[in-house]
Amino acid sequence: MNGLGTQLPAAFADLEPYAAWGHATETARNHYRIDRTQAEIEAFANAMLPRLDAICSYLDAYPLAALPADARRLYDMLLCVAEVSPSTEGYHAPRVPYGYDSRRFQAQEDFPLRPRF
Amino acid sequence: MRALEAVQPLHLRYPELGTAPVPIEPYISPEYFAREKRHIFKKVWQHVARVEEFPNPGDFLSVELPASDASIVVTRGHDGAFHAMHNVCSHRMNKVVYDERGNTRKLYCKFHGWSYDLAGRLVGVPSEGSFFDLDRAACALAPVAVDTWQGFVFVNTDPEPAMTLAEYLGPMYAALEGYPFHKLTSCYSWQTVVNANWKLAIDAFQETYHVAFVHGPSIAAALRRDKGGSIVPIDGLCDDYHRRLSIAGNPKSVYGNPKAVMEAAGDAPASSGRPIADAALRLGRNGMKTTFDDSDRPPGLNWTNDPDWAFDINVVFPDFYLSLRPNYMQAYNFRPISHNQTLFDARVYYPEMTTAGGRLYQEYMKVALRDVLLEDLSTLERTQAGCETRAKSHMQLQEHEVMVRHNAWVVDRMIREGEARER
Repeated sequence: MNGLGTQLPAAFADLEPYAAWGHATETARNHYRIDRTQAEIEAFANAMLPRLDAICSYLDAYPLAALPADARRLYDMLLCVAEVSPSTEGYHAPRVPYGYDSRRFQAQEDFPLRPRF
Repeated sequence: MRALEAVQPLHLRYPELGTAPVPIEPYISPEYFAREKRHIFKKVWQHVARVEEFPNPGDFLSVELPASDASIVVTRGHDGAFHAMHNVCSHRMNKVVYDERGNTRKLYCKFHGWSYDLAGRLVGVPSEGSFFDLDRAACALAPVAVDTWQGFVFVNTDPEPAMTLAEYLGPMYAALEGYPFHKLTSCYSWQTVVNANWKLAIDAFQETYHVAFVHGPSIAAALRRDKGGSIVPIDGLCDDYHRRLSIAGNPKSVYGNPKAVMEAAGDAPASSGRPIADAALRLGRNGMKTTFDDSDRPPGLNWTNDPDWAFDINVVFPDFYLSLRPNYMQAYNFRPISHNQTLFDARVYYPEMTTAGGRLYQEYMKVALRDVLLEDLSTLERTQAGCETRAKSHMQLQEHEVMVRHNAWVVDRMIREGEARER
């Protein structure tokens, strides 16, 4: 949270309604995705798509390892766009149709070679 | 360059594999699994780690190898050398390492306090004077053969391995030496215990016949089709143990484009109809910390020099699957637990990304891969259950499922050879 009770940099105030998509790990992003409806996923993707270039430009002013909290939230939302891409561009469903349960296919978040951000 | 039509049919190149239907019994039999353990998993080199997982002296990793009836500790010594030993205290057989990973000066048994150095030598025994002629040298941790190939750490639980690691891998994989493994330092990994036989599990990953169906909504469009619309490999290679497949991509797709994010900014890619994919590709350009050039392509990579080449699948017998692309690799272990349980440890290694767009692209590729793996995994337990009904005694395999046939053939041959040696 910044001082104004918002979670994102001021330039991205239009994305505040979607700030809940900003999860810091793949596991959290995936679980958030598969527990949403397809309509919620599409709304998030459609809100983010026209802003991706601006988001990347804004974030690249900082080293990725040292993002301020509001920029980090924006970054986590950016990565969540990748998380939902199979739903919006392949499956047209929150989960992999007939797929193996992703909760059984655990990301090794503490694997030593995994990027920290 | 070899045209697809000019490649000799694989069943003619490897006539010893035959063309008959393949029996199901080895995929469902506890008795057959016991023979695999005895004659394969207690005899061969098995991949357990990358050297980058041990950056410092004293770093250790414990690994369970149920098919070898072994629990192993791998350490890196102060001289940088790797050591491997059974995780069994010489005193009363407790484990000397409980954690999967860590860094330590010595390995301490938490039962009675015996301690060992990083090479497994016994260096401390509380109340040593109360023992009877204790021979410290004979009480070292039981050693396990360990060696590395191109930064991959392998162990062999055979007290006297029949082959060195170089002898085991060289005939098939020496031509891959020089691949830029060391540049691929960002690793994402997942694990699951899947209720399927290890052979059945790895078989789902070593043919392209399934791609149009299992992966229809995801990556099927990223692979090249032949004139008849089938997705077939460019070529395949088999030896006494290992096997390779070379796969052609559709360079117009993000997932199948080997040059993705490697080209200079400016020449915008054609729209794929997938706006997130297009954005990831566009914003990912020049986001990599490292670069790749022709010297990163050893002759064994894309060995037919196919212009549409996307990746090679390399199966290092028995259970290590290594898929190499120009700028990333997938490394999967299918570690047997029982005749119908397998630990699937899936890793993908990318170069480090330094920009937000680079990470968006990498996350896009990783998530696409993970969901594709969920598609692949979806077949395994259904297939294993089907095998266990014994409704069918054999499976039907076609020309381009030769690697499934080769897997069954190598396993059966090694069991027969092992049993012949024991007679």
